[in-house]
Amino acid sequence: MTPPRRTHPVTPLVTGVRAAPVLIIGVFVIGDGAATDVIGGLGTGAMIVLILVGVGLYAYIAWTRLEFFYDDDGDLRITSGLLVRNERRVQLSRLQSVDVTQPLLARLFGLAELRPDVAGTSAEGTTLRYLSLSDAEQLRAELLARASGLRDEPDAVAQTAPEQVLVQVPSPHLLASLILQPITVFLILLIPAVVAFAGVAGVWELGLSGIFLVFAPVTVVGGQFLKYFGFTVAQSSDGLRLRFGLTSHRSQTVPPGRVQAVRIERPLMWKPWGWVRVVVNVAGTAGGGDSEERPSVVLPVAPLPVARAVLQRVLPGVDPFAVALAPASPAARWRAPLQHKQLGAGATSSVFVTRRGWLVPQWDIVPHARTQSVRVVQGPWQRWLGVASVHVDSTPGPVSIVALHQQTDAAREMADAQARRAGLARRLGGPGQAESGSIEPVELHPAPLGLQQPPERSES
Amino acid sequence: MSNDPFVAGEDEWVPVNPRLATGRRLVSMSLVALVTILVVAILTVGGYPEYGFVALLLGVATALWLWWLIGRQVRAIGYVERADDLLVVSGILFRRLVLVPYGRMQLVDVRRGPLERYLGLATVQLHTAAATTDATIPGLPPEVAGRLRDQLAALGEQRSAGL
Repeated sequence: MTPPRRTHPVTPLVTGVRAAPVLIIGVFVIGDGAATDVIGGLGTGAMIVLILVGVGLYAYIAWTRLEFFYDDDGDLRITSGLLVRNERRVQLSRLQSVDVTQPLLARLFGLAELRPDVAGTSAEGTTLRYLSLSDAEQLRAELLARASGLRDEPDAVAQTAPEQVLVQVPSPHLLASLILQPITVFLILLIPAVVAFAGVAGVWELGLSGIFLVFAPVTVVGGQFLKYFGFTVAQSSDGLRLRFGLTSHRSQTVPPGRVQAVRIERPLMWKPWGWVRVVVNVAGTAGGGDSEERPSVVLPVAPLPVARAVLQRVLPGVDPFAVALAPASPAARWRAPLQHKQLGAGATSSVFVTRRGWLVPQWDIVPHARTQSVRVVQGPWQRWLGVASVHVDSTPGPVSIVALHQQTDAAREMADAQARRAGLARRLGGPGQAESGSIEPVELHPAPLGLQQPPERSES
Repeated sequence: MSNDPFVAGEDEWVPVNPRLATGRRLVSMSLVALVTILVVAILTVGGYPEYGFVALLLGVATALWLWWLIGRQVRAIGYVERADDLLVVSGILFRRLVLVPYGRMQLVDVRRGPLERYLGLATVQLHTAAATTDATIPGLPPEVAGRLRDQLAALGEQRSAGL
């Protein structure tokens, strides 16, 4: 057992500031009637002061009661609670990843929160808030080092694992890519359409609402821009490290061998620049509760060669574009008139790849060793056309793999073959079996990989 | 049925117990009866007995159709234990075939609701790390369900390699 440690001394202030506004608003809502006269107003004022003192006191005591240390088994323990003492154990042998995030408020104070992601437990009880950013990084390195079995020499490995920056997404590219998304373009086109309709129909009130329609694309683009601002992909010994965010800064780690499936998407309007986005499913805590906190976007936008290089890091030796894809049945045109030409599915010795999407063509990739189950499904209309779709199930996440509208017998054959490959890959211990530890060296383009300037991008 | 790609290639599809149809009919018939009686009563009391009669006929027709449909649906459910994976087939209008390699199974559940207990049936559900797997075999006699669970768990243990 190591001596207990505490979170940063400024913590009570931050938690207090975080909680106070809600409570004060609550006082105003409840005391609304009373506040109309002077005495009531004084009462409300006194109540607010009382609440501020109470919140501050509570936050302070809560801070003194929260301690964390390593127990004799080398696992992290967190004790907390005023009246009811909680003691939580973070079993480091089951540690999937450790996230360091900086929500806006914490960021103002230079603090960060640390969230160990352990299979089968909720993140709420084990999140340490708040630590100074450097302490958080240090503790993260410490936890990961201990998780990989280096507990006897914690000091030797307690420095943050050295990292090599692979990609940095320049803000102009990020902004341009977000504006060129189908949803944004649709929202932008909606404005003149509504205004024109209002002009023709003579409903000027509707025309005015066009002003408000401007907010929709601004919100969509702005939100994602703030979220993915300054996106950096770096390689470190504990995996691929992602850092991004302007108002709320995130740092996520994709441990080697934890990537379950990958999607590469290329919205139609990105094509002239050769840009793609890379999204992954990562195995983590069960349930969707904190899926928001798990890595999903590995690369918000990058030229294809850069994306390929990053793909080599998460799925070594896989080139989805070299896979021969069997097109969907010709009858698919009656079921999926827009995307039927895009549809296809195929497999190599290590991965299953499907292609679909009309406005956003996408390639979905799942290693055979990560295939959980295979489903063939067929609705009545599909049955009439003699087609069926093959789903390859992956762990929960943004990526889903489906070979749409294959001829029914071909679909069945595909499913059988994939189930067989999945069984075989698992027994032979196929690619990506490394649960932790070293990463295979991968040949990479000259590092660090900056984004290439896209050819004659119009400034708009 | 043998040229149907969904079930082709396997000779030994194990059907589920027909008592499952009895149970499902019991539930849906009571529902239809309840709704029909309610509608008929309202229409009759409200002074439209002729529409009440039409509603009654509609209710009876729905009941007959469901009776027939449930029979077909239950007959459409089947499973096969192959050497390396388990296959479950189901559905008539929306058909589905699930293939679960034994090595991917994380958990095998046996569930028995009150109605299932009354009918002497059980449901076996397979869980993998994917939430979308949804491989459920309803309508198994408890001893078959228990045997299947143990067998699948053993096979899963034997072939599994973590996540």
